[in-house]
Amino acid sequence: MKILVQKFGGTSVDRHEHRVLAARKVIQAQEAGFAPVVVVSAIGRAGAPYATDTLVKVLKDIDPQVPPAPREMDMMMACGEIISTVVFAHTLQTIGYNAIALSGGQAGIITDPEFGNARILEIRPHYIHKLLEQGYIPVVCGFQGITEPTDEYEHGAITTLGRGGSDTTASALGAALNAAGVEIYTDVDGVKTADPDLVPAARTLDICTYQEVAEIAHQGAKVVHPRAAEIAMDHNIPLWVKSTFSDAPGTRITGYGAPNAITRRVTGITHTGKLVYIRLEIDSADHKPTVEREVYRMMATAGVSIFLLTFSESALSFCVPRSQYPVARDLLDGMVVPVELNKADHEGKLAYYYIFKFSEGLDLAYRVQRPLLTAVEKRVRIVDVPASVVENCTIVSVIASRYRKVPGVMVRIMRALTDARIPVYQTADTEMSVSCLISESEIQRAVRILHAEFFEKGFGSNGGDE
Amino acid sequence: MDVPELTSTASKVSFERGRGVSGLTVIRDVAHLVIQTGGESDRSDKILQVLSSLASVNVPVFLIKLHRTHVTMALAGRDLQRAHEVLETTGLEVTARRDLALVAIRAASMRDLHGVIMMIADALFEAGAQILEVGDSHDSVQCLLEANKIADAVKCLLSKFNLGAGRVQESSIEAEDEA
Repeated sequence: MKILVQKFGGTSVDRHEHRVLAARKVIQAQEAGFAPVVVVSAIGRAGAPYATDTLVKVLKDIDPQVPPAPREMDMMMACGEIISTVVFAHTLQTIGYNAIALSGGQAGIITDPEFGNARILEIRPHYIHKLLEQGYIPVVCGFQGITEPTDEYEHGAITTLGRGGSDTTASALGAALNAAGVEIYTDVDGVKTADPDLVPAARTLDICTYQEVAEIAHQGAKVVHPRAAEIAMDHNIPLWVKSTFSDAPGTRITGYGAPNAITRRVTGITHTGKLVYIRLEIDSADHKPTVEREVYRMMATAGVSIFLLTFSESALSFCVPRSQYPVARDLLDGMVVPVELNKADHEGKLAYYYIFKFSEGLDLAYRVQRPLLTAVEKRVRIVDVPASVVENCTIVSVIASRYRKVPGVMVRIMRALTDARIPVYQTADTEMSVSCLISESEIQRAVRILHAEFFEKGFGSNGGDE
Repeated sequence: MDVPELTSTASKVSFERGRGVSGLTVIRDVAHLVIQTGGESDRSDKILQVLSSLASVNVPVFLIKLHRTHVTMALAGRDLQRAHEVLETTGLEVTARRDLALVAIRAASMRDLHGVIMMIADALFEAGAQILEVGDSHDSVQCLLEANKIADAVKCLLSKFNLGAGRVQESSIEAEDEA
């Protein structure tokens, strides 16, 4: 039995006409000799009556001051997929197909107990196999699983898988069922060279590697979640990204060694993030590592993500998500890092106190704290650590396989952005990508310019620099 | 100070990559360049000049970091001579060293993990290894260290993340001919 897992996203199941189109894809697969296993997301996107965000709002609106318990939040979020699964199974039944709706738990998806961001520990596929043998089309809830029974949760607890959860469900089921392939159906006809909303000239890739699509997804493209790509890669399951609304062939995602695999240098241009760039001037080479560690410790304690780290002899710079910037600023402003000396310095000081100071208007805590330190100034040197911020930043990335082995990609990026007078605040690179931190207001221009540079100057017809 | 329990070591999973730090990769013979670009007015032009020069002699660079008065980058040690020669033609002040190595701390969904940077900094501090440059991505944090500190750094990192010695990979910066 050749099993094909087909996953349909929210826009593919948001209304009856779309569900019928999706059902046709399932029927076509069956007619082609596959045993389809369907995975569905919740119906519609934010604002739709049964979308996950809508369901969450029902809970949060009860008392905005009291956050819902994680377990109950997951039960509520799982409802969106349960409704969608039942509706889709019934849609198939009404047109004469033997479909059966399964929750994540019923499908044998066992997760760890991290509510809201659970990881799949195991899939017990025997029930799905049994249903397939009986001629059913299993329709499985994406985005959810169940924990093993424990003393705390006697019958297990419903969990959700976090961002991209339905893609992850589809890929993991594909691996567990040893499927011939996993098809991710969405509202675009494959993996694009850029966000088509920003770049009308963006092309659909015929083929790309697991690594490329995982990198594209990590760097902001929303076409398939990186967890799904990584599972498919680790288990060598052929993955396709296709449109529910067309018969276009979509994008085949495969390994480097696969037949017809393309050795492409530049795969796409992506953008992601609403960020704030923080720069701290730490004017002491000797004490800088100690001060930096306290910054990291403070951010970690508050659960603030920091990235795009940059060191110099006298400064530390990093980005924080804009949503976490107020927390980061409140923590850093007025923060004092004491550094004791082994012996008194030439002025008789026994310690240095480093105090963080944001620019005027953002330095309330500093202005309160600083006068309190005057009492110790005879024995302690007080050193200001000026903090400057660049708000409203974002990241534009060029996905470039073999970047670290092939020279010249960065210079093309920098030249294109510099010629367009788009300031680059910082850069970062991986084996697969180069990213530039720029002003959010420039993102559309930056993506278009880089797309033109790498895809519209007469390179190969399916990606840059083939 | 209380620090929340961190998901620092990978748990065994059947279908998904584990949470947390899963291993280290060490790359030896790495060089580092510090190139003075001066003030604001022509800084971008000088950065372009540097990158163009290096590309013209097929020297790949990485960990490129932009600073107010200089730009820094890493490269394979074998390329340093070539890089130095071409950069001399730019007239810019260049400082270079080759006695370095890179240790990359690998994790799935690195950016969802809070506190990894702190743990890395603590481990390297314990090892007496100064971080000369750092780069981070969704799946790794890369630290440029003095090569003679790598053994201690790896030992402290393994201990900090509860990893066995088998989780260390040696890698290299491979060369490709294509320009």
